[in-house]
Amino acid sequence: MRSHALALAAWLATASAIFLDDAYHTDFHYALLGLPKHDATFFQKPYAASKASLLYTVSDNGTIGAVNPKDGALVWRSASGPSSKGHLRGGDEQDTVVGAVGDRITAWSASDGRIVWESRADGAIVEDLEILEQEDGITNSDAKDAVVLLADSSPRVKRLDGKTGRAKWTFTDSSGDTPFQVSTSPTTVYYISLHSPLLGGGAKLRVTFLNPVTGKKTDSYTLSSEGEISTKDNILFAGANTAAPLLAWTDKTNRVLKVNIIGTKGVSSFNAPANVATEKIVLHAPNRVNSLAHFLVEYQTATGHSAEVYHVDLKQSSVSKAYSLQHLEEKGTFATSTAGANVYFTRLTAAEVTVVASVSEGILGRWPVNGSPALAGAYPVHGVSEVVVKGDVASAARSAVLFSNGQWALIRNSEIAWSRPEFLSGTVSAVWAELPEEEALAQELAEESHQNVVGAYIHRVKRHIRDLEHLPSWLQSLPPRVLGNLVGMSQETTVEDIQHDSFGFHKLVIVVTDKGRLAALDVGSQGKVVWTIDLHQFASDATFQSPSLKAFRGYVEVKDVDLSGSLFINSTTGGLLSSQDVKTTLPITTKGETLVTYSLVDGELKGNLGAGPSFEAVWTFTPPPGERIISYTARPAKDPVASIGKVLGDRRVLYKYLNPNLVLVTAVADSARRASIYLLDSASGELLHSAAHYGVDVSRPIPSTLSENWFSYSLTIDSASATTARGYQLVVSELFESPLPDDRGPLGALSNSSTVQPTKGEAAKAYVLSQSYQIPEEVSHMTVTQTRQGITSRELLVTLPASHSIVGIPRQVIDPRRPIGRDPNANEQAEGLAKYAPMIIFDPKWHLNHKYELFGVKNVITSESGLESTSLVFAYGLDVFGTRVAPSFAFDILGKGFNKVQMLLTVAALFVGVLFVAPLVRRKQINSLWTT
Amino acid sequence: MRSSLSTVAYLASVASAARFMLHMPATQLVNPSTLPSATHATLQSSGPPQDAYITRSNSFNFNNVSTGSYLATVHCRDYAFEPLRIDVTVEETVEGSGEKKEMIRAWQTFIGNEWDNKGEGRGEGGNGLVVEVKPLGQKNYYQERGGFSPLSFLKNPMILMALFSMVLIFGMPYLMENMDPETKAEFEEMQKKGVMGSGTTNTAQQIQNFDLASWMAGKTDSSSRGASPAPQSKKRG
Repeated sequence: MRSHALALAAWLATASAIFLDDAYHTDFHYALLGLPKHDATFFQKPYAASKASLLYTVSDNGTIGAVNPKDGALVWRSASGPSSKGHLRGGDEQDTVVGAVGDRITAWSASDGRIVWESRADGAIVEDLEILEQEDGITNSDAKDAVVLLADSSPRVKRLDGKTGRAKWTFTDSSGDTPFQVSTSPTTVYYISLHSPLLGGGAKLRVTFLNPVTGKKTDSYTLSSEGEISTKDNILFAGANTAAPLLAWTDKTNRVLKVNIIGTKGVSSFNAPANVATEKIVLHAPNRVNSLAHFLVEYQTATGHSAEVYHVDLKQSSVSKAYSLQHLEEKGTFATSTAGANVYFTRLTAAEVTVVASVSEGILGRWPVNGSPALAGAYPVHGVSEVVVKGDVASAARSAVLFSNGQWALIRNSEIAWSRPEFLSGTVSAVWAELPEEEALAQELAEESHQNVVGAYIHRVKRHIRDLEHLPSWLQSLPPRVLGNLVGMSQETTVEDIQHDSFGFHKLVIVVTDKGRLAALDVGSQGKVVWTIDLHQFASDATFQSPSLKAFRGYVEVKDVDLSGSLFINSTTGGLLSSQDVKTTLPITTKGETLVTYSLVDGELKGNLGAGPSFEAVWTFTPPPGERIISYTARPAKDPVASIGKVLGDRRVLYKYLNPNLVLVTAVADSARRASIYLLDSASGELLHSAAHYGVDVSRPIPSTLSENWFSYSLTIDSASATTARGYQLVVSELFESPLPDDRGPLGALSNSSTVQPTKGEAAKAYVLSQSYQIPEEVSHMTVTQTRQGITSRELLVTLPASHSIVGIPRQVIDPRRPIGRDPNANEQAEGLAKYAPMIIFDPKWHLNHKYELFGVKNVITSESGLESTSLVFAYGLDVFGTRVAPSFAFDILGKGFNKVQMLLTVAALFVGVLFVAPLVRRKQINSLWTT
Repeated sequence: MRSSLSTVAYLASVASAARFMLHMPATQLVNPSTLPSATHATLQSSGPPQDAYITRSNSFNFNNVSTGSYLATVHCRDYAFEPLRIDVTVEETVEGSGEKKEMIRAWQTFIGNEWDNKGEGRGEGGNGLVVEVKPLGQKNYYQERGGFSPLSFLKNPMILMALFSMVLIFGMPYLMENMDPETKAEFEEMQKKGVMGSGTTNTAQQIQNFDLASWMAGKTDSSSRGASPAPQSKKRG
């Protein structure tokens, strides 16, 4: 056992890994949270004695996380939750934050994200969560308890112990109301629900008073709101933790604002500004116990926004308007911050940040915002802010703002301190695109090839003369480049323009998100966002669900179910192209060739003649009864093969079975717990190979990939097959023309053959060699590296969701020709084959992501670079990650280990040596001539 | 085995919810408080694995675990941990009493081995059992770049050979000069006879006429074919 592992380890040491000085330079990682939610984003100190505060949030995909407000770096985050409805609250001077996503209520250690306690609501959804700041007017200095509202058939309000998460009491509401929210005051817990009358119409708001110590109902009242409220969305605000918690709602047309101070029955009514139609009303109120009972109502119109500040008189239980902030013809938002009892409102627009106090309308601070290319054309959607006020002047303000383009940015006074591209967390599809320079050159070359010889030659000379205009600038840039290289400044940090990209590392990846935002990232320069656009500007009425991308030369095609037709977007600028501009480049079929397309229709794989489902079916693949097809994989469209054979140790050749039309179909039989693999020829529909695995957990993913002449897939073994090994399996199969070396099988002598119309009765079937390995973790996705000519050995890239990583398994490790049960003989050793071991332990050196933790990777795409040795890798899902791999080491580029200064010194030393030795040699030659 | 399988199946039908904890003690190798918060443990049996993230007290809590046999794995960025087999069963506390309670047993297990091939026991007990997990070693993701050092430069066989020949070239004349006349004469005699000379010229010729292509093709036949064209070409040249 141990010897196995040792031998394996010794042999794996040869595999390529990431160099310490390359890590964090050649790769990039966006550790994303998702779009932050307004009511659950706040600045807070991670523990009472902390000097700096962190920025906590729960995002639209249920991820809870903390971000350092200084640089925007992620401090910690949870795994994404099952639902988009998340809640997060942090008590004052606590070292925990309490979050609830789906049915899980968890207290997290605020500084490092460790779990403190966890409580499951057993299927009920957590509707609201509050922290009990005070109890009977006394601030609790220990762990503060949480109050949660669980939505179920019978809604429950629970008070959870702040130390352990155990329920102290539970109040069950059996009235059949729709639970809405809980709110707390120092003396009472308020449970707010929507009481719908039996006979249709609107809903009444019911507020139930609960004793915070016992959880017993003490009182309740109902507000007649049926004129305005029909669903929860009509309620604007149910204020939390203020001395005077508020309940505010509006009617459907956003004309009237109604405010109730929770605990009293009176409803104050206010009219929205009448001159422009208000699209949305947002209420901003401080959430501290000891702050002034002031709040701000923001009226958003289609093009601008305005606000009114109201004061609550606690003694008379009345609400009165204090002052209003003028209407601005640009989109913006407000944020609330407190300092002691004082309340400040920060007005955030794309151009300016202004701070006003809640007591009077005088502006305390005003900062024009220096624009940032990442935020160009975007406006603030919501934000949170912290303000430092000295006397009557706000000396500093920082606001974490979500912008309309999905960037989450921190505005510190005037400057944008950082921005996080959180919109990328919703990436659903990504493709590689060529860069502008390459595209232009390719176009020119294509032009030349279509002209006659003389014309092409003149065109070429002209092009070269035109290129000369870049010469002066190139010459100018030469000395700093050379100097930078010598001093050891890596060119990665100095590459600003992509013109110096002679290695082809700067490739664009076009990504599209589920919300219909398209962006281009430069993988070679740390994933810089080159451009980003909202697809709604081209298709205003479409709602995007799962857009998909397809790359063409110079443009990408966007398709979605809801989109009629498709959009063509220029891949270098992000501009829209009309369908006339786009030269329809269908796959070129020469005369006599026909195109066979295939697709999964009603559980059967059907091959059609010509593109489109209307054409006649030429073949159909139906899985055996009881099985259903779960996926199919084809060979990559661009999959160059350098050698048609595999040279053995004794110089004989095993010929690879190379068929461009291979399709790997995965099917499962649920009841029999069987997974079947079928290898088809997509031109003829013929079955080339099949394999079945029993005792497979068919509910788990079975990823597969196909490249060159081999394919692999991974399975999870079901617990019912308890006698065999448990865990996860990786199966690798390789196809050869014949089992014998130097033999090309039945078709070897033929110069032409057809799989559609086999001439010799039976078409040649591949000889398949398979080996399977135990692997320590589940694989959710697999793909293969790609290089320019396919000379470099390939690496199998597997995504491991459990350890948040992507691992590149070298091809030689999973070679199905590894000798079993014996040591390799001399010939096999010469081939580099090691003895078969039943397991593959993922060497940490194989991890492409090294110390990065990749959450939620759904897909990994690879592309060739300008260098044969190197393949570009891009992963997306929740996080976005890009790197480059050199499976056979970077043999065609000098690494950072190459010391240029030392080389120059060596040359100089040799030259000096020659200067010294030359006279000696000359004298010796003369002497030898004279003496003989 | 079959009988035990059927008992497992029978027991699975009994509703049970075992609760246990994997705990990571502080050792010399690892201070568990420094591990990232994404460190988690999974229990895999059938269907989606159960997941538990690390708590402030460096443990992984599993609640509501139904009966069955589980593969427990700890996933951590910085350290590798040994996999465990954890069996949850419902047993009678005293035989024949009819009172039943959950039993949890943990063993070491090995990837690539049969499931019944259990290692050392790692704990046994009722609800609330604490099983310690041991780190196997630190994960090292990075490859060291071979830096330049004069010593490694000198250790290079090519450099050693060059130095040796340098010593010969420069040292031999001095040796020859310091030899007494008799030995010198003897040595020159030996050189004339060609004890040293003839051999060297022959190998030099062989190296010159070395046929790379035939060597690559694996031809092992005698030097007559491979070497014959070469002298001709030499003559012509």
